[in-house]
Amino acid sequence: MTKKWFNCFLRESDREAPSPCPSTLLNAFLVALFILLIFIFSFSRLEYDFHWAGVWAYRAKFIRGLGMTLVLSFFSLIVSFLLRSLFALGQKSRFLPFYFFSRFYVEIIRGTPLLVQILVFFYVIADAFRVQNRYVTGVMILSLFAGAYISEIIRAGIDSIGETQLETARSLGLTRFQQYRFIIFPQVFKRILPPLAGQLVSLIKDSSLLSIISVSEFTLNAQEVNAYTYSTLESYLPLALGYLLITYPISNLSKRLERAFSYET
Amino acid sequence: MKGKVTGIILFVSLLLFGGCGPREENILNVGMELAYPPFEMTDTEGNPTGISVDMAHELGKFLGRPVKIWNISFDGLIPSLKTGKIDIVISSMTITEERSQSVTFSKPYSKAYLALLVSQDSPVEKVEDLNRKGRIIAVKKGTTGHLYAREHFPLARINVFDKESACVLEVVQKKADCFIYDQMTILTNWQKNRDTTRAILKPFQKDFEYWGMAMRKDDVELHRKVNEFLGSFKESGGFERLADKYLKEEKKTFEELGIPFFFSP
Repeated sequence: MTKKWFNCFLRESDREAPSPCPSTLLNAFLVALFILLIFIFSFSRLEYDFHWAGVWAYRAKFIRGLGMTLVLSFFSLIVSFLLRSLFALGQKSRFLPFYFFSRFYVEIIRGTPLLVQILVFFYVIADAFRVQNRYVTGVMILSLFAGAYISEIIRAGIDSIGETQLETARSLGLTRFQQYRFIIFPQVFKRILPPLAGQLVSLIKDSSLLSIISVSEFTLNAQEVNAYTYSTLESYLPLALGYLLITYPISNLSKRLERAFSYET
Repeated sequence: MKGKVTGIILFVSLLLFGGCGPREENILNVGMELAYPPFEMTDTEGNPTGISVDMAHELGKFLGRPVKIWNISFDGLIPSLKTGKIDIVISSMTITEERSQSVTFSKPYSKAYLALLVSQDSPVEKVEDLNRKGRIIAVKKGTTGHLYAREHFPLARINVFDKESACVLEVVQKKADCFIYDQMTILTNWQKNRDTTRAILKPFQKDFEYWGMAMRKDDVELHRKVNEFLGSFKESGGFERLADKYLKEEKKTFEELGIPFFFSP
């Protein structure tokens, strides 16, 4: 009897008998209930009076901030797309100055905190080049930052294609373009999708650091509302929810694309 | 297998629900942001020091309770107080109507007023010049300067920063017309950046800003005792002692400039 019900909690492939209940629904419900209980318990122990009315008055500010975060992330994504392709190629380049520059760039960006990069870029480099617009600068920094990570992801993806496949492709008489188009790209795309989606999610969350140069994005707006109303949790809980609202569709989409691009080998 | 699962669940629940022992009752937890010399700062070894720290220890002696200083960012002080993480805020906090809605203040122990650090090339000559389109004002998040700017200069753009050093840098680099903060900080920063900034120290508010110690609304007992302490501390000349210890040079500079000295309870 117990054994039969135990199948509810197993993956389809591991079951000894068909599940006697709608198991996806049940398991999702149980997990949600567990997390909810933890939250209810924690909040009930909290000595804190919630005053949502004060924060609700600033809802337009939250929405504007969320919009700005979306815009910043979108442009950063596009610019970093250009950068990443350039530098991924650069790391494979035969021309040494280009190769060293790419390596140097990736190591510097990955090895230093984004916070320092933002401050140095905005107050030193952008200032020297007379770029005063903090939004343009913000997009540039984010793109440079994300670009370094993404170029590494792409490089690793290309490297992961076995040499024998390329030899086979060459012996079949495929041109270099055809090799990339039919052999490398379809496989690389599938392999780098998960880390790429993860990187995009980080990019969106990292954009919150732009608040230190007063780029009026989601986090800064929430912090300002906190400063006006002295309602920390009421300001930050919607913040978490807002970020989740943007990032969840991305990881969902990535999973779907992954499935669409999976091939039998 | 089952035993293992039960073990893990037990372990996790212990992690989650354990460790909620009673808080140490007798310690007076004092919150302040140690970034406002000479009131709240750290010595070279990182120990809290300054006028507010000395006052906190005096208060502890008066109450017969050991004192623990918590370094918390300024906009997090009131939330920490409300959640019971600290018992009292002694952080050069101005008594405002808005703040009084969520916490209760002691009677004032000091007063100050706002001043402007203006960028050298900015056309701003007096406070009335600020409420125009195209003016950019840098403020530190959650300070009275921030709240004042929001209320009085709706036409100007207000850029919000975490740190006062960022605000000063904005003015120095001409990214902002001015920085609104208290008189003493403005004076020190102007002395450090004489080539790039001007200071407008003439008071422009209708009234002084009075500083108070903040406590939870329901902490009536502590509130009464703190007011008692402030009375006796003033009578015994405690404030003069602290001013002599920490503010000697400032006092001299203010006298030379013919501006009323602000730490005069």
